[in-house]
Amino acid sequence: MFNLLILCALFINAYSLETVNKQIVNKNIERSIDLSSQLVKISATLTVENTGKESASNILILLEPKTKSNVSYISVKNSLKEELKLTEVEVQDHKSKQFYKVELSQSLQGGRTIVLTLEIVLTKSLIPYPSSISQKDRQLVRYFGSHYFYSPYNTLKQKTTVNLGSRNIESYTKLKPVSQLESTIVYGQYANVQPFSIDPMVIHYENNSPFLTVTSLKRLIEISHWGSIAIEENIDILHSGAKLKGPFSRYDYQRDVGSSHHSVKSYKTVLPAAAHSIYYRDSNGNISTSQVRVRKDWIELELRPRFPLFGGWRTSYTLGYSVPSYQYLFKTDKNQYLLHMRLLDHIFDDMQVDLLETKIVLPVGVSNVQLTTPYEVERLPDSLTYKYLDKKGRLVISLRKTNLVEHHIQDFEVVYEWPSSLLFHEPISLTFALYVLFLVIIIYVRLDFSLHEAKSEHVKTQ
Amino acid sequence: MWKLNSKGGFTSLIIFTVLALAWIAGFASRLFAVIRFESIIHEFDPWFNYRATAYMVEHGFYNFLNWFDDRAWYPLGRIVGGTVYPGLMITSGSIHYILHLLNINVHIRDVCVFLAPIFSGLTAISTYLLTKELWSTGAGLFAACFIAIVPGYISRSVAGSYDNEGIAIFALQFTYYLWVKSVKSGSIFWSCMTALSYFYMVSAWGGYVFIINLIPLHVFVLILMGRYSNRLFISYTTFYILGLLLSMQIPFVGFQPIRTSEHMAASGVFALIVAVAALKYCQSVLTKSEFKTFFYFGVLAVASIVFLAVVVLTYAGYIAPWSGRFYSLWDVSYAKIHIPIIASVSEHQPTTWFSFFFDLHVLVPTFPAGLWYCIKNINDERVFVVLYALSAVYFAGVMVRLMLTLTPVVCILSGVAFSTLLDFYLRDNDTPRPNESDDEEEKAKTGGRRLYDKAGRVPKMKHEQVREPDGIGSNLRSFVLVVLVLLLMLFSVHCTWITSNAYSSPSVVLASYGNDGTRQILDDFREAYYWLWQNTQDDARIMSWWDYGYQIAGMANRTTLVDNNTWNNSHIALVGKAMSSNESAAYKIMTSLDVDYVLVIFGGVIGYSGDDINKFLWMVRIAEGEHPQEIRESDYFTEQGEFRVDAQGSPTLLNCLMYKLSYYRFGELRLDYRNPPGFDRTRNTIIGNKDFSLTYLEEAYTTEHWLVRIYRVKKPHEFNRPRIPVSSRIIKSQHFTSKKNSKRRKGTLKNKALVVKGKRPLKQS
Repeated sequence: MFNLLILCALFINAYSLETVNKQIVNKNIERSIDLSSQLVKISATLTVENTGKESASNILILLEPKTKSNVSYISVKNSLKEELKLTEVEVQDHKSKQFYKVELSQSLQGGRTIVLTLEIVLTKSLIPYPSSISQKDRQLVRYFGSHYFYSPYNTLKQKTTVNLGSRNIESYTKLKPVSQLESTIVYGQYANVQPFSIDPMVIHYENNSPFLTVTSLKRLIEISHWGSIAIEENIDILHSGAKLKGPFSRYDYQRDVGSSHHSVKSYKTVLPAAAHSIYYRDSNGNISTSQVRVRKDWIELELRPRFPLFGGWRTSYTLGYSVPSYQYLFKTDKNQYLLHMRLLDHIFDDMQVDLLETKIVLPVGVSNVQLTTPYEVERLPDSLTYKYLDKKGRLVISLRKTNLVEHHIQDFEVVYEWPSSLLFHEPISLTFALYVLFLVIIIYVRLDFSLHEAKSEHVKTQ
Repeated sequence: MWKLNSKGGFTSLIIFTVLALAWIAGFASRLFAVIRFESIIHEFDPWFNYRATAYMVEHGFYNFLNWFDDRAWYPLGRIVGGTVYPGLMITSGSIHYILHLLNINVHIRDVCVFLAPIFSGLTAISTYLLTKELWSTGAGLFAACFIAIVPGYISRSVAGSYDNEGIAIFALQFTYYLWVKSVKSGSIFWSCMTALSYFYMVSAWGGYVFIINLIPLHVFVLILMGRYSNRLFISYTTFYILGLLLSMQIPFVGFQPIRTSEHMAASGVFALIVAVAALKYCQSVLTKSEFKTFFYFGVLAVASIVFLAVVVLTYAGYIAPWSGRFYSLWDVSYAKIHIPIIASVSEHQPTTWFSFFFDLHVLVPTFPAGLWYCIKNINDERVFVVLYALSAVYFAGVMVRLMLTLTPVVCILSGVAFSTLLDFYLRDNDTPRPNESDDEEEKAKTGGRRLYDKAGRVPKMKHEQVREPDGIGSNLRSFVLVVLVLLLMLFSVHCTWITSNAYSSPSVVLASYGNDGTRQILDDFREAYYWLWQNTQDDARIMSWWDYGYQIAGMANRTTLVDNNTWNNSHIALVGKAMSSNESAAYKIMTSLDVDYVLVIFGGVIGYSGDDINKFLWMVRIAEGEHPQEIRESDYFTEQGEFRVDAQGSPTLLNCLMYKLSYYRFGELRLDYRNPPGFDRTRNTIIGNKDFSLTYLEEAYTTEHWLVRIYRVKKPHEFNRPRIPVSSRIIKSQHFTSKKNSKRRKGTLKNKALVVKGKRPLKQS
């Protein structure tokens, strides 16, 4: 069903090419690029004016070349903070470029302006340079971007603020006017920038924030109508910063107490406030170096992997907990339930997840299952799993998505029908089985299977 | 009739309750490690058993039997299926299988962890059955309660100690029970059951040799005592033939039962009992005087023929002589001289008196009392328990490890002693008709059947009964009872204390306690093993001393050179030689063995005494055994004959690979302000060679408390680079912070082409 929709969408797209509306002009662009973490977070405030006569119902957003695969999250909001619908489109004469079409909530009349907020998060765009460093070295990375905001429209004036989070800057490109103050670089203001103009920006600076990539996150949500929902996450983590060159010395590591280091000792995971029975383990058993702190609205878990993570090192672990079901599972109708949970949850701040696989295990005997996801995900074929004494399997919904960041921590919804009488199915069958067992034993004890005649022996003893 | 029935029901309810409670108590007291730490496999050998079980569960039984493990004994490999006793894996594998049939998705690790505690309950029940056959129900219940909590058995069966002994003691006791049952009844059914149980024992533990020697010994002694009977003939011949055939089905045992000396006693006794049976038959044909000479001649002839046959076959090479391990049972110093690898294991040391008390407590003095009662009221099956007791006491004295075989018999005999004492002091209340009640009770216990020579009860000791009315009476009685109850209480307190303090450490995870009682977990082993798993290439080969082989295979999933299955002494000696040579000589050995990483255990930072430096002399000894030209133990001692790592230590020691790997950069580390840098807490000295660097290896990882240190062996090009003349060296620029900002700007080139060496210039469009 889903696939069909996507196919249809592609089909429509291919045969209705968009054109660039020359009447639209970017009046002002304020762009800020946050490079202080491992992610590149670009947010821009666009003031767009329609200089023509005809009203425009949509405008186009253009991605910088070669960033398509790195874009993890993109959203456009209007001045009322309403999220606008985005669709990928191809544009005539510019087929090699990646465009998004923003459908405005109200079409833009001639001569009117609108303020839009664009937010883009890029992953894997900060390249460690040098790519391998020794234990004592600092981690330097380079960012490749453009001094100008890349747009299909003419831009009257624009300004870019780059926040590096560190004062140690090796070098940066200087397109006048440019100024640097502590850890921020300000480019601009540039006036009258032509459409599709680009000017390479390279910033080489120190970045010691944790460069951790979750290469695979397998999230399993198991629903029990006895009152709790179990969540288990299997996480593979790779330190994706500059690789460690040469030896690792414990002596140097113990002496170096400074906090800004490219290795990662621990990180914090936030769990829901009601989480209990938390476990943190790997294939060799419990990882004893973790702490749970109960905050007011959440539970903070300080996770320390078994060993500090240096560039190129990886680790994997399992984190599991249970939450009471009344906060997530609602009865909407007779025999109809609504599950409302996060598709992806927090692992550490500024995380990047390469591959997410969420599996939702529904109770035995569900029917009419409907799934709503907050964003497009790939739905894998459903499967069945068997738990404690099940005769009929439980339905498992599997979802998959690649390249996710914190902005993807959003809720999905599953609606299903389930007769509540099934709750007692297994206790009753267990009781019955025990009853039969006792009955068999009672009968067995009363029967005599021996070949000897018991009576004669009895006579003998007397 | 109704009354009798209800009494029988009441008795069986008590028996059932006591056994169930013994099971629960035994299970619960073995859970200290799980509660304090977690559900984890302990120590060394259990890790292999766990890995093999997991392999079997994953790949199926036949693939397990054909498993060639290329991750052990690199480059030789190990045929696992043919070199293990598969009983343990099959047991837990089938439990896992049944649970999964019911869709109870238990992880195989949890099955393995809890297997031994569950089997301790079965051991208690089989001990009850055995003691009941030997003495009485009361003694049986006592014995069952003793074995459930006795430290000597708990030491091998705590949760997580997933080893052969955990199920083998059950199999041992059950086989003995069935054997006694079959000797008593003379029924083929019970001897077949004995053979089946023996088959299970063979599949589970190498200690089956104890059974196959003890049962023939029993038969032999019974014949000598003139207690030969058709029952004995039927049960032994059936058991021997079936047991022999069944035991040969285990791949690891194979043809050993007919080709090694350890098994020859059984076949000798088999020949003997057949000969005796033939003679008995002749007795019915011949006259008495004819028979007498014929008998002695016949017995002598058969015995000497059997003996000669064994000797000749041994010399001809058809029968293997006794193995080294077996020799070391007779001659305590044998292993020390000839097989250092056996002597190096601490559990193969002779037992001290202290550990007898430690493991058995009050059972030590009561056990001879029970033995005395058995000898006093001897019959066929009590001969068996006497022999069992005597041989087990001897073996337990030779090797600490064999305490395990002594423990069950001690429990049985102490059960007999306690039961007899209590019987005596409790029963006498109704003196007018003691015999009547006795008879009645006996009937109830034996189900109304008459046993052919049930031992008389202790109240038969007439002089005691006569004296009783004199008025030593109730005071003495209650005093004895109080003392007995106190002893039993002390015993259970002692057992719990020992279990909790001595036998419940996983030894994979260490714990230390601070002054305020807070517990700090030292998880260095798993830290290092997990690092190896995650951050080395999949086919990396790890060299370490053999103690850690199984753990590396199980927890790090990497190839090892040697492990706890010490089948190839020369390979171990080669590793020992590498460890005890200097760095360049060791490098040659390591490259010839394709070693990628070297792992050493170093306890100097936290004061862990079981580290590699303390084991080092064994490495030297084992290496010397195979390479006497290069390695000499005396080189590692000072002139005064001391083994020391400080400045007075011998230079060979201070420059060998093991020393360097353990103490690399340790000389700079200052643990506290009272001691100078380089102070080794385990050996309480300042190390002798502080300032050295490694040429052929580099530190790859060291755990938080320095307990495990891993080094990477460099490839030849890494340390053997051609020298670059100074003029053509590229000087690396120092990392410097650019001071340039918008105010102080010296010249910069706008749009300078960005060139990274080895890469195409970036396109600028």
